[in-house]
Amino acid sequence: MNPELLEKIRGLVGPEHFLTGVELSPYVLEGRTPDAAVFPGSIEEISAILALASEAEVPVTPWGGGTKMAIGSPPTRVGLVLGLKRLGRLIEHEPGDLTATVQAGMSLGAFQAEVGRRGQWLSLDPGFAEQATLGGILATNASGPRRHLYGTARDLLIGVTVVAADGSVVRGGGKVVKNVAGYDLPKLYIGSFGTLGVIVEATFKLRPLPDVDRCFLARFGGLKECGLALKELLTSDLIPSAVELLDSEAARGAGLVAGTDGGGTLLVGFDGLEAQVGWQCEEARRLFEAVGLVEHRVLDGAARDQAWRAASELPRRVVAEAAAQMKLAVLPAHVTDVIEQAGGVAQRHSLGAAFVAHAGIGIARGVLTGGRDSARAVADVLGEWREIAKAAGGSALVEWAPLAVKEAAAVWDPPGPAFRIMQRIKAQLDPRGILNPGRFVGGI
Amino acid sequence: MATLTESRKKALRRELEGIVGKAAVLSDPDELLVYESDGLTLFRALADFVVFPTSAEQVSAIVKLADREGIPFVARGAGTGLSGGCLPSEGGLVISLMRMNRVLEVDYDNQVAVVEPGLVNLHLSWAVGPRGYYYAPDPSSQQACTLGGNIANNSGGPHTLKYGVTTNHVLGLEVVLPDGELVWLGGKTRDPQGYDLVGLFVGSEGTFGIATKIVVRILKKPQAVKTVLAIFDEIDRASEAVSAIIARGLVPAALEMIDQVTIQAVEDAFGCGYPRDAAAALLIELDGLAVGMEAQVERVIAACRECGAREVRLAKDEAERQLLWKGRKSAFGAYGRISPAYMVMDGVIPRTRLPYVLRRVNEIVATHNLRVGNVFHAGDGNLHPNILYDPRRPGEEERVVQAGAEILKVCAEVGGSISGEHGIGLEKMDYMPFIFSPADLTTMHRVKEAFNPRGLCNPGKIFPTRKSCVEVGPAYRPHAIEEKGLAQRF
Repeated sequence: MNPELLEKIRGLVGPEHFLTGVELSPYVLEGRTPDAAVFPGSIEEISAILALASEAEVPVTPWGGGTKMAIGSPPTRVGLVLGLKRLGRLIEHEPGDLTATVQAGMSLGAFQAEVGRRGQWLSLDPGFAEQATLGGILATNASGPRRHLYGTARDLLIGVTVVAADGSVVRGGGKVVKNVAGYDLPKLYIGSFGTLGVIVEATFKLRPLPDVDRCFLARFGGLKECGLALKELLTSDLIPSAVELLDSEAARGAGLVAGTDGGGTLLVGFDGLEAQVGWQCEEARRLFEAVGLVEHRVLDGAARDQAWRAASELPRRVVAEAAAQMKLAVLPAHVTDVIEQAGGVAQRHSLGAAFVAHAGIGIARGVLTGGRDSARAVADVLGEWREIAKAAGGSALVEWAPLAVKEAAAVWDPPGPAFRIMQRIKAQLDPRGILNPGRFVGGI
Repeated sequence: MATLTESRKKALRRELEGIVGKAAVLSDPDELLVYESDGLTLFRALADFVVFPTSAEQVSAIVKLADREGIPFVARGAGTGLSGGCLPSEGGLVISLMRMNRVLEVDYDNQVAVVEPGLVNLHLSWAVGPRGYYYAPDPSSQQACTLGGNIANNSGGPHTLKYGVTTNHVLGLEVVLPDGELVWLGGKTRDPQGYDLVGLFVGSEGTFGIATKIVVRILKKPQAVKTVLAIFDEIDRASEAVSAIIARGLVPAALEMIDQVTIQAVEDAFGCGYPRDAAAALLIELDGLAVGMEAQVERVIAACRECGAREVRLAKDEAERQLLWKGRKSAFGAYGRISPAYMVMDGVIPRTRLPYVLRRVNEIVATHNLRVGNVFHAGDGNLHPNILYDPRRPGEEERVVQAGAEILKVCAEVGGSISGEHGIGLEKMDYMPFIFSPADLTTMHRVKEAFNPRGLCNPGKIFPTRKSCVEVGPAYRPHAIEEKGLAQRF
C-alpha cells in the first residue's frame, strides 16, 4: 500500500489511533497481515478514510470486537483494518418510545447495562456480549437463544447509518418502530459482513425488562426423548422465550452436567409476570414428564445467566480441542435427526462432536473435536454435514475453522440462482470491490 | 393511458392469450376501467392489458414477454392499496394475481405455510384456524387484501404493535424477477446465506419483481384475549396514557386511538357504545397466557385512570369485544356518512410526541379551513389523520393535499416517517426528501438498479421524480363493504 496514503490516513486520525508493524498481530486475518489498522473517532473520519481507500482501491476490513472474524472465506486481499472501537457511545435512549440510537462500536454488554438502568433491554443475546459490538452483531447477523421468541436483528433494527464504499453517509429506516418509506435498507446491511458499507450507527426497538426471567433445565435419556419433548413444548400453549437443545457432550462442556452419559438437555426460557413464569415452568414439567423427563431444575439469577451464556458461546469456547464449528439451519422438526446423523458422521471419521441448537427454529451448531492435525478429515466431515443440511432442505456455514480446513472445505454453501442479484447489489454499492473482498457468499 | 399502436396491441394480445388463455386477458377499455386505480382514487391510469395468470410459470412467461417488448408491467392483488402503488402509471400490463389464491401447504410441525400471492389475508387465518393457528399481520382491509399485496407494501395492522409487520413473518419467496427468471429468495429454514433479499423484497412496492409463492410463519392462537376501552375528556391525556401503558412494561397486542370527530361519526352510523361527548377513546387489547391476564388488565386500567380517564371499561364477553372493535374498524365507513370525501394520511412519529403532533395536525387542518378525524395505531405512533372535504368545492382538494403534506412534514420534523404501512407509491414520492437525503435515495436507487435495471417493473413509483401520466380525481370513495362497516382501510 502506498506509503503516502498511509501517512495521510495517519494524519487524519492521529498517530495514537493508527497501528502498523508488530502492533498488527491481533488484526491478522487468516494468516494475512494488513498494512495498517486505523481507529477513527467520528463518522467524518470514517467517511474521509473510505473516500481515500476507494480512490486508491485499497481493501478495507471493518472490525468491531473481533468476535466473529473467524466467519468467512479467506480474504482475497487485505489492506486497511478499520476499527470501530472509538465509536462506543449511546447517542439517545427514549424509554417512552422504547427505542435507542447507539454508535456501532459500543459493546452489547455496555448497551444492555445502559438501557437496563431504565428498565429496558434489547432482546438480542448472542454470546461474548462484553466484547461483541453492536455494529459487528448487525454485520454478522449474530443472535442467541432468545431469538426463539424475539427474533433476530432484522426484527429489532429500525434504522441504520452506514458509510458507503465511496465515503458517502447513508441512512436507512428511521427512529420509529413502524416505517415503510422507501426500501428497507437496514435489512440489506444486516448480515452483509461489511461488504456493502461500514455500519456506524444503529437505532433499535427495545423491550421492557420482564418482572421475572427463568430458565427451565430439563434432562432426558437421549436425543430422541428431547425430540418428543420439543414437539410437546412447541405445540403447547406455552410461550417460551428460548428453547436450546444440548447434546451430552455440549451439556458437559457448558458445565450443566457432570459427565457425558449420552443424554440430552433442554434449556427453556420463560419470562413475564411471576404467575406466568411459575405456571409455565410447572406446565413444562408436566409435559416433559410424559415423555421421559429424567431430572429438572429451575435456574434464576447468576445460574440462569451462566446457562444462557454457555449455550450461546458454545460450542467452540467451552469444548477443548475444537477443530471446526459449523452452523446447520434446518427445519425445527428435523433438528434432533440432523444432530444424530451428523454425530454419526464424525464418529465414522474417528472425530468427536458436540451440538447445541436453537431447537425451536431449527438452527444447530456442531463443533468437531480432535483431528486438529488432519485438515482433510475435518474438511470431509464438514462436507458430509453440509450434505445432511442440504438433504433436510437447509443450509450450512463453517463458522470457525483453521485456514488449512477452510482451504479444503467451502465456508459457504454454493449460492443459488438469486446470486446474480447479490452480485449486482455488491457492484452497485461497492463498484471497486474494496469492502472485505472475497470473504462473503460466492466470493463477494 | 395507452402507449401501444393498435396493430402491436393485437399481436400482443394474441401472445398473452397464448400464455394464459383467451378468457384471462382484458383489453377492452370498459373492462380496464376497474383497474385504473387502487384504494386511493386520487390517481387513475389505464393499462393496455390486464392478465390473470394461474401459475408462476405463466407469470414468468408474461414478464419475459414484457421484457422482450419493453412494456412496463405491474402486479396487482385486490387493489386495496392506498398510495397508488399498483397503478399502471405508464400504460402497459397489469398482472392480476387474483387467480393464484391457493394455500399450497401448511406445515404445522414447523409452523409455516406456503401460499400463493392472490390469497386473501384473512383466508389464511381461516385455513389454519381449526388447528389453533393464525397469521398475525392483520391489515384492516384483511377481508379483501391479498398476501402478495401485503408483501409489496410490508403491511401492518392493529396487532402489529406486539407481533410486528409483514416482514417479520415472511421466511421465503418464490419470485419472478423483472427479466422473467423464476428464483427463490430465502425458504422455509432460517438464516439463508447471502444478502437478505427477502427483507429487501418485502416492502419494495412491486418494483423488484412479482412474488409467486410466499412462505410465512403461522402462530398459535393466544389462550386469552382481553379488550379495554378507556374514555378521555382531553386528547392530550389519552396520548399520555399511551406512553404510561408502555412505561408500565406492558406490550399490548393493540393500542388504538379514536378522536371525537370519529367517535361521533361512528356512533351516528353504527352505535357501538362510545360516549359521543368524549374527546378521545383508547382501545387496548392484551393477549397471551390466561395466567396473569387479570394482573395485566389491572395495570392497564390503573395507567389509564392515572392519566385521567373518565371511564374504563373491560369488554365482558366476546360480543362486547367485537362491538368495541367495530367502532374502531368501521371508522372509514362512518366518515363516508359525514363527508363526501376524505383523504387518509399515514405518518409515523415517536409515540412520546403524540400530544404535540396531534395538536399540530388539528391546527394545520383548521388553517386550511378543513375538518379532520383521527383514528390510528397509537401504540406504535402510526397516525391516520383523515381530512374530510368536498371535492365539488373548487380548490378544496388542493388544500387537502397541501394540508397532508404539512402534516407529513411535522411527522418528519419530530423524527418520524411519512409512511407507516400504506407505502409511498405515487402519492408520497415527492415527500421522500422530507426524511431521506440525496445519498440515501441514491443508495435505494442503486438497489433498484440491481433488481430492476430496465425499470419496466412498476415504473414511476417511490422516487421523487414525478413524470407519470396519471390523472387526478377524488382521493377516496367508500367501498360498499366500508359503508356497511364490514371492513376499512387502515
